[in-house]
Amino acid sequence: MPDSLPPRRILLVDCDAFFVQVARLEDPEGAGRAPLLIVGGSPSGRGVVTSASYETRAYGVRSAMPTSQALRLCPDATVVGVPRGSVTRRSREVRTVLEELAPIVQAASVDEFYVDLTGTERLFSPETLTDTAWRIRGEVLERTGISVSLGGGTRRVIAKLATNRAKPAGVHIVEPGSEQDFLDPLPLSELPGVGPALAKSLRKKGLVTVANARSVQPDWLERWFGPRRAAWLHRRIHGIDRSEVDPHDQRKSISSERTFSEDLDRDEDLDHRLLELATSVAATLRSMGVRSRTVTVKLRDYDFTTRQHSRTLSEPVESNQAIIDVARSLLTELRTDRRVPARLLGVGLSGLTDSNQRTQLALFEGTEGPQESERDRDLSRVVDRLADRFGYGTVVSGGLIRQRPDSCDPKKPRQSPPRTRDGHS
Amino acid sequence: MNFTITRQNLHNGLAAVSASIPSKTTLPVLSNILFEASEDGVWMSGTDLDVAVRVKVLADVKEPGSLTAPGKKLQEITRELPDQPVDITTRGEQIELSCGASRFKLNGLPADEFPTLAEVDFSEGISVTGKDLNGLIHHTSFAVSTEESRPILNGVLWELRDGEMKMVATNGHRLARMGVKVDPTGTPSADFIVPPAALTQVQRLFKDGDQLEVARSGNHLGFRADTTEIYTRLIEGTYPNYDQVIPKDNDKVAIIDKKAFASAVRRMAVVASDQTHRIRLRFESGRAHLNVLTPDLGEGHDEMEVGYDGEELEIGFNANYLLEVLRHIPSDEVKFAFKAPERAATIEPAGDDAADYLCLVMPLRLID
Repeated sequence: MPDSLPPRRILLVDCDAFFVQVARLEDPEGAGRAPLLIVGGSPSGRGVVTSASYETRAYGVRSAMPTSQALRLCPDATVVGVPRGSVTRRSREVRTVLEELAPIVQAASVDEFYVDLTGTERLFSPETLTDTAWRIRGEVLERTGISVSLGGGTRRVIAKLATNRAKPAGVHIVEPGSEQDFLDPLPLSELPGVGPALAKSLRKKGLVTVANARSVQPDWLERWFGPRRAAWLHRRIHGIDRSEVDPHDQRKSISSERTFSEDLDRDEDLDHRLLELATSVAATLRSMGVRSRTVTVKLRDYDFTTRQHSRTLSEPVESNQAIIDVARSLLTELRTDRRVPARLLGVGLSGLTDSNQRTQLALFEGTEGPQESERDRDLSRVVDRLADRFGYGTVVSGGLIRQRPDSCDPKKPRQSPPRTRDGHS
Repeated sequence: MNFTITRQNLHNGLAAVSASIPSKTTLPVLSNILFEASEDGVWMSGTDLDVAVRVKVLADVKEPGSLTAPGKKLQEITRELPDQPVDITTRGEQIELSCGASRFKLNGLPADEFPTLAEVDFSEGISVTGKDLNGLIHHTSFAVSTEESRPILNGVLWELRDGEMKMVATNGHRLARMGVKVDPTGTPSADFIVPPAALTQVQRLFKDGDQLEVARSGNHLGFRADTTEIYTRLIEGTYPNYDQVIPKDNDKVAIIDKKAFASAVRRMAVVASDQTHRIRLRFESGRAHLNVLTPDLGEGHDEMEVGYDGEELEIGFNANYLLEVLRHIPSDEVKFAFKAPERAATIEPAGDDAADYLCLVMPLRLID
């Protein structure tokens, strides 16, 4: 949509510390009474923080931090597991309310929803977008018990950035025409898509804020970061975003890739990395409640030749076992075609379907061995639950244990005292 | 090698052979057609290493010999030639073609670079009619699996028994089986798992009136009639025991008008999920209801009269599987039989002269 058309009215509805809120609603007597609450990991300190209450954030606790570290920062915090099933249910409740209040709603994740109110100006008149946002916030809170923050603007990326200013439990609307004034003081690292690596290289050039980057001639950005990335960065710092709020938009693929610090050539090393990647994408797949029919393995050789092989299965799968089996055979194919040191390995899953929709019954089930059995699926779900409670890595594939650097090999004399996963002797 | 051939004969020969030439290949000689000229005519061969086609065309051979030449280019040239005799001569590794005032020289490759076709001894084989073979292929091969995960299901099972032959194909979700009676000849029983690509060539090149000889040699199967030969690699392995999964006790039977049913299913399929293509059928006395409900898209309903007097039953299917089966059932009415919502359903032609033809479709589980 050209930016010259009447301004769009887009809101991003973001649930405040969603997992914390859900844990409190599910257990009002326990988690509900703990202001210092950490969701994710175990009280013994294993695992990582999925979400932390705002009270604990004051102590420096952040998502994705090892729970042990979080507990050192905030020793009085209560730690509970991730209430996975309830999270999905409550997310759906929020979405249902939003769908009643706005014409177009797109779930961007379990706790973020884009809402497009373009064309409702006269319907809601004389309410401003700010008033509408506060009304939506009130209605969602009243009907679902979930507190949300809303950011708004003429583009999705502006709404997203405004949400950061609205949190917690607030509303921040960027008025049409004031987008650049809003963007200029923001740190570049806050822009969606600017990761730590890019932020660092920008900082090296003396670029910290959006205004800094805007003051640089586009030619220089291109020289520093290459034409594609420079063009993308140019759009980001000028807040150009024409993407629509699409209610049918669903994530179409899940992938994970790793560039190695040194090129890997040994089959065992690549297999080990493959297991890690496959296990991780499979866990993400299950957490989204979907299954995948197509598995892709990508390999970048030492000379930057990038190759990939995919396989589409007759039935969508979700278990670690099935995904690892296919990924392994794809990697073998790639390595048979060209056997040279690899600098990057990736595993992708696509052809995603809702697990509940997987309903095609098979003719030879049981007698022929389909790609995965109910047992494989159960096993993977149990591993997920253990990971929720005790942290990732509680139960891992045998292939990963054998090569874990911190595992004890009885045949090998110990060079140094054994270390626990937390790094304590 | 030097021979003169009518444009039409050359065109027919190239058309027959070139369908077996792979569109992309790492072995350049496979893009070529092998010409072998002898006193009684010219043999032309093409192969993708899995399936090979060899045909003999009439020609006035002045000098026997052999060479391979690019199949696609020859076919394109021949299509544009005037309807006059074509003279073909080899000079070294080049093939020269002249017709009227047109002259072409194409680079070829020596005949000995062309892969050797399977040697099949037809004196050991059996005899079948083109009609029987084509009928079985048409009614079953659509059901083969196209996925790589279970190679055995990528082939059509061809069972030969004295007095009867059958073909079966399945992708693990739906299955088609057809049998025909043949004259007992006393030949021993045999099972072949044939790639559908070879069967497509058989259907294309043999007419119903042809009498074919079929013989196996090692891992290859050969088909031959008059001046046409097809060879194929067979898929190795044991075909799953399909007979075990064909239900014998489907006691709820609906007799349905095929055309009306197919139209209703097609209408419902428009609103079905493009992932599962799920539609829902509900049978009650004298009527069938078709429903579809797809979250984020919408819903549809249709109903029709059917011959049904069993208990009420609701069952889900992939609409595409139903439509494919209905397209292949020869009769105007179909016999649709069930046991329970999560058990295999069978679809057969209805009527007195119904052939020995059975299709099976596994349902989609209905969860709400």
